[in-house]
Amino acid sequence: MKVAVTIWDEKISPVFDSAHTLLIVDIKNEQIKNISYHSFEPKFEARLTEELGHLGVEVLICGAISETHSTLIEASSIQLIPFIGGNVTQIIETYAKGNPLAPTFLMPGCRADSPSL
Amino acid sequence: MDTLSQNATEIILESISDGVFTVDHEWKIMSFNRAAEKITGISREEAIGRHCWNVFRSNMCQNECALKKTMQEGKSFFSSSTYIINSRKKRIPTIVFTSLLKDKNGKIIGGVETFRDHSLVEELRKKLYDSFQMGDMISRGQEMRNIFKILPKISQSDSTVLIQGETGTGKELMARAIHNLSPRKGDPFIAINCGALPDTLLESELFGYKAGAFTHATKDKQGQLSLANEGTILLDEIGDTSPSFQVKLLRVLEEKKVLPLGAVKKEKLNIRVIAATNRNLAKMVAEHTFRQDLYYRINVIQIKLPPLRQRMEDIPLLVDHFIASRNKIRGKSISGIDPTALGILMAHDYPGNIRELENIIEHAFVLCSEGDITPDVLPSALTRQSMMEIEDDPSPFPLKSAEIKVIKTYLKKNNYDRKATARDLGIHKSTLFRKIDKLGIQLPKIDGRSKRV
Repeated sequence: MKVAVTIWDEKISPVFDSAHTLLIVDIKNEQIKNISYHSFEPKFEARLTEELGHLGVEVLICGAISETHSTLIEASSIQLIPFIGGNVTQIIETYAKGNPLAPTFLMPGCRADSPSL
Repeated sequence: MDTLSQNATEIILESISDGVFTVDHEWKIMSFNRAAEKITGISREEAIGRHCWNVFRSNMCQNECALKKTMQEGKSFFSSSTYIINSRKKRIPTIVFTSLLKDKNGKIIGGVETFRDHSLVEELRKKLYDSFQMGDMISRGQEMRNIFKILPKISQSDSTVLIQGETGTGKELMARAIHNLSPRKGDPFIAINCGALPDTLLESELFGYKAGAFTHATKDKQGQLSLANEGTILLDEIGDTSPSFQVKLLRVLEEKKVLPLGAVKKEKLNIRVIAATNRNLAKMVAEHTFRQDLYYRINVIQIKLPPLRQRMEDIPLLVDHFIASRNKIRGKSISGIDPTALGILMAHDYPGNIRELENIIEHAFVLCSEGDITPDVLPSALTRQSMMEIEDDPSPFPLKSAEIKVIKTYLKKNNYDRKATARDLGIHKSTLFRKIDKLGIQLPKIDGRSKRV
């Protein structure tokens, strides 16, 4: 499964809409493989899903995201896990093991059972 | 005394409508006032101790953090082009002010960020922009806005409208706007270019025909007038029709009935008729090239669309509009237009009007995929013309001469009303006076304002 994370140094970009770098990993049998980095401009909404689709992304983990972007991504059948914050390595490892990211990595003010998540 | 002052500070911070939070050197939130809770939707308990970027969630956090700049440079910063995203995925436009946080000994212990919810301001800005728009037409010029004001009333009536304007001024868009604002909006809108077809073809197209009406008429064909029934028909380029066609059209309009070619029974029509032309029909009537009775029949309400060269202030607005709509259609990411390219567009006189401007933007879209539209992606004829104008300028100070030219053009356009000229040029009135004086621009002894008295 191809999982993408919008990153800023060692952490998740706080705002997806203004992120610049995408980290993509393959997760197979709880193992993280094929780590790659891609330059990314989500502010250009028109190309957003095309770019993610081209990279074969199936799951996207990101920080705060606006409704326009989240609707576009969800409509393209990519699983979106928004409002996640913290260290990228810890988050990917947790996800690869099949453990839930919420509430540990959930941004303040967000609830794991919120319908927007 | 210190405790009293601390209490007073806390009370003030809790009562103001601006959000305020403080951070330590590790960017962890130390305090978070009530307004900050309200704007972000995050409680103080949840915010304190967390990294500010996970709480504030602004588009500036990653690369243009004002607080980081304050901590690095020891100065306060203000930013007005920022937004935060709350947990309901809503973008909240904000303005931000940052400063250093010092203890009573003057030691820097962190930073303070003050922010204000600008949603209302943005909403008002949007409403103002919307007031420049009617259907697909956009203008901030007074002439067009006067038309926008009366358009709803025109639309509600069923009277025939005559739209006059040069080619490319948006006559069809105006007709569509009238239709879409009218009670007929759920019914068909049909536009037919009367000037593009010879008489016989135009008649069969407009009135329809019955099988056997003429050779090759093997089956009945409904005319555009019948197809537009209950809706609106735009008869474009009506000034280009022949006198014999004009007689037939007049009869249809007066009887509100149409007789398809080869038919024996007239069909009833309930349509709104809008006629459009780029020709001066009144002059044509005087010259006997357009029927007077038809002219009076269609000229119940007249709308005159100004050419683009008379509403140059609309160019930036139109360019933004075309860029936004093309980005959606073409799936591109053009962010805007750079000032030099816009300057070239502003210097052109647009014989083809808005259609020409739209085509110029279309041309730029073919060559440019993202970022700003720059002069190199504009049609070469435009940039060449602009270069020639500069080369032809005999002045030893071309920049000064260009400034004089621009100011004179706008003064003339505004009938020498300095206030209106300054507004169009986007400068303060006193700056305009200073420039007029400095550049030695001679003004006639009239003032545009006197016209209104």
